Amino acid sequence: MTTPAQRSTLMAGYRMLDLSDEKGMLCGKIFADMGVEVIKVERPGGDPARNLPPFHQDDPDPEKSLFWFAYNAGKKSVTLDLATADGRAVFQDLVKVSDFVLESFPIGYLENLGLGYEALSRLNSRIIVTSLTPFGDTGPGRDQQADDLVLWASGGMMAIMGERDRPPVRMNLLQSYFHAGAEAAVGTMAAHYPRELTGEGQQVVVNMQACIVWTLMNEQAYPILHGNSVQRNGVFVGSTGMRQRTVFPCKDGQITLLLAGGPLAFSLRAFFKWMDEKSMCPQWMAEKDWSMWGPATFMNAKGDEVQKEIDAIEAAVTAFFLTMTKAEIYAEALKRRILLAPVSTVADIMASEQLAARNFFVPLSHEDLGTTISYPGPFAKLSETPLAVTGRAPHIGEHNREVYRALLGYSQEKLLALRIVGAI
Amino acid sequence: MDRRYAFEGIKVADFAWVGVGPITSKYLADHGATVIRIESHTRPDVLRLAPPWREGQPGLDRSQFFASFNTSKYGVTLDLSKPAAQELAKKIIAWADVAVESFTPKAMRNWNLDYEQLRVVNPQLIMLSTCQQGQTGPHALYPGFGQLMASLAGYYHISGWPDRDPAPPYGAYTDFIAPRFAATVLMAALDYRRRTGTGQFIDLAQYEASLHFLAPAILDYQVNGRVLGREGNRSFRSAPHGTYRCQGEDRWLALSVSNDAQWQGLLATFGNPSWGADPRFATQASRLEHHTELDRLVEAWTVTQEAEAAAETLQRAGVPASLVQNCLDLHQDPKLEAWGMFQYLEHKEMGPSPYEGHQFHLSKTPGELRWAAPVMGQHNEYVFKEILGLSQEEITKLTEEKVLY
Repeated sequence: MTTPAQRSTLMAGYRMLDLSDEKGMLCGKIFADMGVEVIKVERPGGDPARNLPPFHQDDPDPEKSLFWFAYNAGKKSVTLDLATADGRAVFQDLVKVSDFVLESFPIGYLENLGLGYEALSRLNSRIIVTSLTPFGDTGPGRDQQADDLVLWASGGMMAIMGERDRPPVRMNLLQSYFHAGAEAAVGTMAAHYPRELTGEGQQVVVNMQACIVWTLMNEQAYPILHGNSVQRNGVFVGSTGMRQRTVFPCKDGQITLLLAGGPLAFSLRAFFKWMDEKSMCPQWMAEKDWSMWGPATFMNAKGDEVQKEIDAIEAAVTAFFLTMTKAEIYAEALKRRILLAPVSTVADIMASEQLAARNFFVPLSHEDLGTTISYPGPFAKLSETPLAVTGRAPHIGEHNREVYRALLGYSQEKLLALRIVGAI
Repeated sequence: MDRRYAFEGIKVADFAWVGVGPITSKYLADHGATVIRIESHTRPDVLRLAPPWREGQPGLDRSQFFASFNTSKYGVTLDLSKPAAQELAKKIIAWADVAVESFTPKAMRNWNLDYEQLRVVNPQLIMLSTCQQGQTGPHALYPGFGQLMASLAGYYHISGWPDRDPAPPYGAYTDFIAPRFAATVLMAALDYRRRTGTGQFIDLAQYEASLHFLAPAILDYQVNGRVLGREGNRSFRSAPHGTYRCQGEDRWLALSVSNDAQWQGLLATFGNPSWGADPRFATQASRLEHHTELDRLVEAWTVTQEAEAAAETLQRAGVPASLVQNCLDLHQDPKLEAWGMFQYLEHKEMGPSPYEGHQFHLSKTPGELRWAAPVMGQHNEYVFKEILGLSQEEITKLTEEKVLY
């Protein structure tokens, strides 16, 4: 555990109630890193997201989900059953002393319990309620369901991921939820800033499908401006009709290489010079002027001249990379300023000398598991108010006493009664 | 609320280029901040040189790639290699609350515009520097783009099929991760300054921010020694779960069944086929075990279906499902239309062009795409005359001297 002096003060003094499941947990984590007191409000028995793999030593126990650990570090936990009137009354008391509510229930769930934004804002006009929704809060998607797969599909990324001879495919690890969770943090801060000037909170609705659409970069305008569309094509790119490899095999894995001239010609020249020093660069590649070689000239190229160049480069580069390992290639690319990167595994990332030099990973003690685990550290380095990853994720209801007795001032008798009726 | 926009009154000097920096400042611009985007003909933003372009014809002022990330901003040109331009940049800094830049770390130093020099001009300045791997460390000066960072940060390795090469996400994946963190922390720094009067420097490495999307795998590797790889469309909790071929050319349906209710919904949609009673499919755990056989049976039905209609029917039966939408589908999706996902803005050279709407909506101070991205130097006169108070003669002279260039 870090000392209080190391704690971030960027957002000290603010409190968030995090009711979200795996779709929104990263938002709460970001706020915890910024110094907000984030209280995870779990149903009795624990948040169902505690059942997400992987688990510590592969033991599927709700207190051992590494997925849950990763996105709840630094938060507190209370248990509360919103399905009971007692539980709802406790929640209302919490809202009165909080600044933010984060939730990812089906649309209408909280309203039906009398805990929608309008009701909560009557208890605390400053409250900001951030809701994660699959397809927004209006329109035909309002009542539709989506998980990670359906979000990638409806958001347009899957159609352009994968190979021509296979179905569209997704990334591992529920990435869509992280996009939505991190975007929820932006929206919540965008509501917070004016709230501090006017004293008035508001509602923030995150559209998870829209979060995926935004990751499509420049794709959306192609049909309208160029009259064509990006196609799913594995490791090949070709927005201008060319077929150009981006990922190449090497001795022990793969390398991603940007092959483009124009403003990036410095990299091509440095790369081909390196190949030439190893006597592996065809003469025409060493001699060609690459300064105009890029999408703009590809568009107007005649016949298959450019494609032939691309194919010849691919063959020479592949032969060159196969003589070396990922680490050897990357080390040399760093020296020569060549635009390439290894296809890293998590093992490669943990061995990064750059991340080590910046003390990126932060060890957190899990005393109950008898171990210390390194977590991704602060997502930014601030000169005045450092962010801090302050401690492991909480156990189920670990802070019930602290929150209900010390914060809300409930008596020991009231706490006991709430427990007996199953509200907490 | 008596404010129209969340960040009205906030002033931003935007030296950034390409993806992460401009996307970060766009959040502020679309929510009311006055954002001055500083560019130069001597080193145009590489996105201005990248497609798609209006009518497919290249040109610095014709790229929608650039335009999408630079709505609601004022555009000026300054050749920062010239001392006179550096002085003007410092005047903008003196005016600004926030500076954003996204070059490799030495660039701003070379122009005498690094934080140590700028804080002298404006002690309360908040400056966000974002580059690939951070301002310090042995790899700090390494140039790169989001495609490479997506590879370096582990995302290529976990995309695609286990028996094939990676099937990377399209584009510069991490360029759409880092700005979410950058904008959040920038807004928090603004609020901290409002409370305390203290500005600060923010060093955001795209690498480090992006690794937060990989955190469970980082823990799994340490604790269990597992190196996360590609798993195709397999899920640890849902079966059937995948994309299934439908009628038509390259048309696919994504669907996902995670519990018994969804399973019953799927069977009802399929017309209660006899295999629905197969004991191998009776429970969710058993369906997970037999997912390969389920995939075959599901696809035997989907190939007879039109994907969009099948998705609608499944959704009505409570099953998460969607057409695997291609780009044209997105523009015709009624859900996205109701949300306002695509909006046409009038661009000075491109005319009406399609821009993306926002990913979150604020109920009382909604942001909006206030205007299209600027062409090169579009607001030179407005910014240097109205905001910085230069005379027309000075502006003409600086333009002739290619300081404003």
